Amino acid sequence: MKTITRRNLLKGIGIGAGAAALAACAAPTAMPPAKPAEPAKPADAKPAAPAVVNNPGSAVTIVHWGFSGGNLEKREKELATKFNDSQKDVKVDIQVQGSYEETANKLTASLAAKQAPDIVLLSDVWWFKFARAKALLALNDAVAGEKGIDANDFVPSLWNEGLVKGAQHWIPFARSTPLFYYNKTMFKEAGIDKVPDTWQGLVDLAPKLVKKDGDNIKVSLFSHPDGASYIAWLFQCVAWQFGGGYSDAKLTKYELLNPDTIRAGQFYADSVNKGKWAVLSKDPQKDFISGLTATTIMSTGSLGGVVTDAKFDVGTAFLPMEKQFGCCTGGSGLAIPVTTPKEKVQAAMKYIAYATGNDGGAFWAQNSGYMPVRKSTADTQNYKDFFAKNPQFKTAVDQLPKTRPQDAARNYVPGGDNIIGKGLERIIVGKENVEAVWKDITAQLEKEGEPVKKDIAALLG
Amino acid sequence: MFVTAASFKKTFRRDWRDWITFVLFAGPNLLLFVIFTYYPLIRNFLLSFQEYNPIIDKGEWVGFNNYVDILIQDTQMTRIMQNTLVFTVSVVALILVLGLLTALLLNQKLRFRNGVRSMLFSPAVLAGSAVAVIWLYIFDYRFGLFFQVLKYFGINSPKWLLDPQWAMISLIIVYVWKNLGYATVIYIAGLQAIPADLYEAARVDGAGAWQRFRNVTLPGLSPVTFFLGVTSVLNSFQSFEIINVLTRGGPVNATNVLVYRLYEQGFTEIQNYGRASVVATLLFVIMFILTLIQLRAIERRVSYA
Repeated sequence: MKTITRRNLLKGIGIGAGAAALAACAAPTAMPPAKPAEPAKPADAKPAAPAVVNNPGSAVTIVHWGFSGGNLEKREKELATKFNDSQKDVKVDIQVQGSYEETANKLTASLAAKQAPDIVLLSDVWWFKFARAKALLALNDAVAGEKGIDANDFVPSLWNEGLVKGAQHWIPFARSTPLFYYNKTMFKEAGIDKVPDTWQGLVDLAPKLVKKDGDNIKVSLFSHPDGASYIAWLFQCVAWQFGGGYSDAKLTKYELLNPDTIRAGQFYADSVNKGKWAVLSKDPQKDFISGLTATTIMSTGSLGGVVTDAKFDVGTAFLPMEKQFGCCTGGSGLAIPVTTPKEKVQAAMKYIAYATGNDGGAFWAQNSGYMPVRKSTADTQNYKDFFAKNPQFKTAVDQLPKTRPQDAARNYVPGGDNIIGKGLERIIVGKENVEAVWKDITAQLEKEGEPVKKDIAALLG
Repeated sequence: MFVTAASFKKTFRRDWRDWITFVLFAGPNLLLFVIFTYYPLIRNFLLSFQEYNPIIDKGEWVGFNNYVDILIQDTQMTRIMQNTLVFTVSVVALILVLGLLTALLLNQKLRFRNGVRSMLFSPAVLAGSAVAVIWLYIFDYRFGLFFQVLKYFGINSPKWLLDPQWAMISLIIVYVWKNLGYATVIYIAGLQAIPADLYEAARVDGAGAWQRFRNVTLPGLSPVTFFLGVTSVLNSFQSFEIINVLTRGGPVNATNVLVYRLYEQGFTEIQNYGRASVVATLLFVIMFILTLIQLRAIERRVSYA
């Protein structure tokens, strides 16, 4: 029998690698025969060239830091391409920097290096940090300018969230709210024809939907994200539904020790530990798509990806109520750093107008699941047709008027989302006493919130 | 030491040439160290005494406030130090022991030996975050690979990354799996460097397999073990990417270690560079002291014969 010597092994590896390289080369050459009928139009290859030559140096290039990964990155790039093809003055170059956090950290570094992008996507918990440090441009003049946008056409609650001392700093773009997702097929198979509108109604469905394998939950009724994945954003709504919350708008009063917020915390813990109808998951979206959970609450911004990936009927509904209905806004908006030169600001506004408008904005909202941010967008015929075909998307838009801005404790306290999220983990996973945890968390929020309190009062309405 | 002007000139002239040579040879390297190591080190130390806003690049001196925040007021710090200790001790011990055992095995004349060696070494060259993403699937307690294997034996799968009791164990498994091959390869090299005549002499003296291992192999490997010990300890303190992908320090801080705390304080929405610098300084001091101890106390027992 042949033994493997070092030389043989290396030879083997070399052949393998060579084969892989060959395969990679072969792929493109294998493609053309499939479409043989197109050699007659060589002129088509560069139609853009004359246009560029006719207007040398006329296009302003705008660098835009945007979404990273998956459906959102793909769609945002398509949006920019649509814009670039629609006119010749401005060319938007979408650059991917990573998650909201990574983008914000890189923006921090780039501001110091005077290499900041012209437009940047900032999330709900990040933008105020930059606005407070005067790193974002006040956009009132640009909004009203020649290439500006009609501020009155924006959904007022979304528009007002970006106002600092009455001046717009953070234009609504990828704005979302939490949304209730359910697996329609699973509901039908279990003989459920009505989607519950209260938490109790949902809990009552557990016997029909939860599937167990011994003690292990195979299919859960509901799936929570873990502390690292914005659980504090979603739980905020539940706290409101129970009658509690995190804090008031000026950070003068924290609401975690409100008996209703304590009740809400206990409800979350019991859902996993006592009632055992919910699980804590590394990735609720994946769970939902792969049928491991019958329902979940996620951002509307996940809707586009979920509908594409799920192999079953996806249903959406308003968030369940308890004492009352409660749902917050969230997501991200577009800002222009102060480092952006004046001549580029108008060009950037032109893109922002397109990306939030009835043409580009509609494309973006329909393909991502984010809200149409203009009032007129949902009234266009295009949108009415879209809603008729995709009722899941309509739920999100219908829910929007019932939403309200988030509590300052999550949005504006540095690390607020993280602090509250870790508290929820202690309650759900650590099984600690809810009141004791909220007491500890309140103390942390108070300490971290103190330095921003003055600015919030002075800058935000 | 009294120097006359003339002799000073003379010395200086000779030294001047030496200096040029020195600067030419060491300068470029030194410059890189100064820019990328010493300057950040000092800057970090200064930052730890500041309330610093990175967006406008402005700091305010606040004395020991950040140190008080991190070392005294942070209720999670004890937990984080414990985690760091548990993680480092476990992975270093496992890597050294398992690395040695696999090296002994793969040093035998076995069939497919080289294939196995390359397979074992391959995780070491993979990117940590990519590896961690794969392990996310392996650890999934409802459909992951471990779940399937355990189910075959009729055992209930623990919740791995979602259970505070198991999350640290999961991390240790991934870290050891990833870094074992490196230790093994170094150990194999060490084994092959031990002169064969030592074994022969031991055999002639009537030493059994265990005695040969105890008195020839182990002392012969001591320089390698020492090297691996120092580098493994330092590396384990810096293991970030696996934690960031697999657990993000959770659940409930069960896998939060110093280096991850640094990231959390500085680069999540907390964005507190001052406190992050305190953690970095702490990490530096601990690593520095450990390395000193290893160099001073343990290296004496290493035989380089």
